[in-house]
Amino acid sequence: MTTSDDAVAVLGVQAPPATRRASRWRLALPVGLLAVPMLAFLTYFFFYPALGLLLSSIQTQDSRGIIGRPFTLAHYARLVNVELYARVLWTTLRISIVTSLLATVLAYPVALVMVKSRPMVTRIITLIVIAPLIVSVVVRGYGWQLVLQNGPKGMLNWILMTLHVVDAPISVLYTEAAVVIGSLHVFFPMMVLPLASALSKIDPNLEDAARMLGAPWWKVFLRVTLPLSMPGFVAGFTLVFSLTAGSFVIPAILGGASAVMLGNLIEQQIFVVYDWPFGAAIAVVLVGLVLAVNGVSMWLLEGRRLRRTE
Amino acid sequence: MDERFSGFGAFILYTITAGMMLFILAPLLLVMAVSVSDSYFVTFPPQGFTLKWYAKVLQDRDFLEAMRLSILLALGTTAGSLLFGVPAAFALVRGRFFGLAAIKGFLLSPLIFPALVTGLALLQVLTRLGSQDARLNLLIGHVVVTSPYVIRTVVTSLQLVDENLEDAARTLGANRLTTFWRVTLPQIASGVAAGGLFAFMVSFDNYPVTMWLANSEYSPVPLVLMRQLVNVFDPSVPAMSTIIILMAMVGVLLLEKLVGLRRALAA
Repeated sequence: MTTSDDAVAVLGVQAPPATRRASRWRLALPVGLLAVPMLAFLTYFFFYPALGLLLSSIQTQDSRGIIGRPFTLAHYARLVNVELYARVLWTTLRISIVTSLLATVLAYPVALVMVKSRPMVTRIITLIVIAPLIVSVVVRGYGWQLVLQNGPKGMLNWILMTLHVVDAPISVLYTEAAVVIGSLHVFFPMMVLPLASALSKIDPNLEDAARMLGAPWWKVFLRVTLPLSMPGFVAGFTLVFSLTAGSFVIPAILGGASAVMLGNLIEQQIFVVYDWPFGAAIAVVLVGLVLAVNGVSMWLLEGRRLRRTE
Repeated sequence: MDERFSGFGAFILYTITAGMMLFILAPLLLVMAVSVSDSYFVTFPPQGFTLKWYAKVLQDRDFLEAMRLSILLALGTTAGSLLFGVPAAFALVRGRFFGLAAIKGFLLSPLIFPALVTGLALLQVLTRLGSQDARLNLLIGHVVVTSPYVIRTVVTSLQLVDENLEDAARTLGANRLTTFWRVTLPQIASGVAAGGLFAFMVSFDNYPVTMWLANSEYSPVPLVLMRQLVNVFDPSVPAMSTIIILMAMVGVLLLEKLVGLRRALAA
């Protein structure tokens, strides 16, 4: 996902080249065996359950709740064909894409300032960007609920009305916009960090050269900085998109009934309707979406022949 | 700031950055302000000052019970993910065997898999197995999600270990175990600690896996908080939230002390 050598570069530490001597071959077998416990654990509690979910998504549930034959693709068809469910799919895509794009546009300036400022400024910005990452998502969703509260007593409305931007309170809470704002808050660091490490790797001489040759600042950014920071952008966009698409808490708190996302629909099908196969089919679609985006991003990063050791 | 940003470009950069800092802090600061305000309903600007909501939270049996469960669960998760993750990280960095890259991808795959689906899949399997104890189920689910984080931080610190020191120790007559204990481990201690702390925090805040595996008897803090938000109007929620924010800040400062923030997250 993110890369450690980026982090190492940001810190200004150089990882030693991973040279291996022939003598290490003697240790090959026992050292390799150290991975076995975790492999076994993940196979049993992650890989096998995931396959089980895939299987139940093409099976049928009878009236007693037993899942089995006949095999069918009906649950997938239902997700696409029933307008109510198809809308959830589109809402999820729309919110994820808009959030990722907004995060990109807003993260570039922050990452640039983070990378090119004095150490003190860098430290403060890093702390402010990262600290909320550790605060529970439920708490952050609640914070936005308070900020966006509909009616004149909400913070945003109070500010807008005090500044006479609007005359009457606006309703943002329980809309798609509120979910985008909340998701942006929760996943913004995931965009800033890869971007900052990509930007820190760019040779400043390249930008200086462009400037000396008379390029204005925006042209330097568009022609030199932006293309060279692509790996960071691709990594960050993928992360933000995947996490937003798979979120549950933020749409539940800030979206209400008007911005139901795939995660909320899965929860509802399993816990309220008890329709396991349909819930599983939606989950498989969500995984497919996330894996597809990750696949494309890996292909892009490989295609640029970037050296991305973990 | 050096002269690389100048004029209008610099102005735009700083304005957006300052705006984003406000955007990030505003909801958290508002929660904190509301937690000490003296009105039963949330109003802006917050009114008065009181600590009565904190008194209420500290007597709230459900919340304290959830806290205890969350802390125990996070401790268990930390132990479990270190137990699996640290040896696996050694295998990935030092081992040379067929399919190393594939195995590495497999071990880190829970990171890109939507956690919500991981939890659901696990619920299905555990239900079939007849595993009734929610505490055990939560522990298993949390270790699945947190162990890749441990692998990443430990792999990073292992790559920075100077193998010549180990060779020197072996040459001077230390056996393999002594070398590990006295030479290797001290070099990766901060990485292991960061991984463990990370596992603790991820477990403590985890919602998407927890929501499937918890039950009415055993509900960790995020679930209890969510229920208070959605079902009933409870004026002590801001105080509960502030307690969680402050705990997170302590965690952040610890991480910063151990390995530096960016490295801990991007590792």
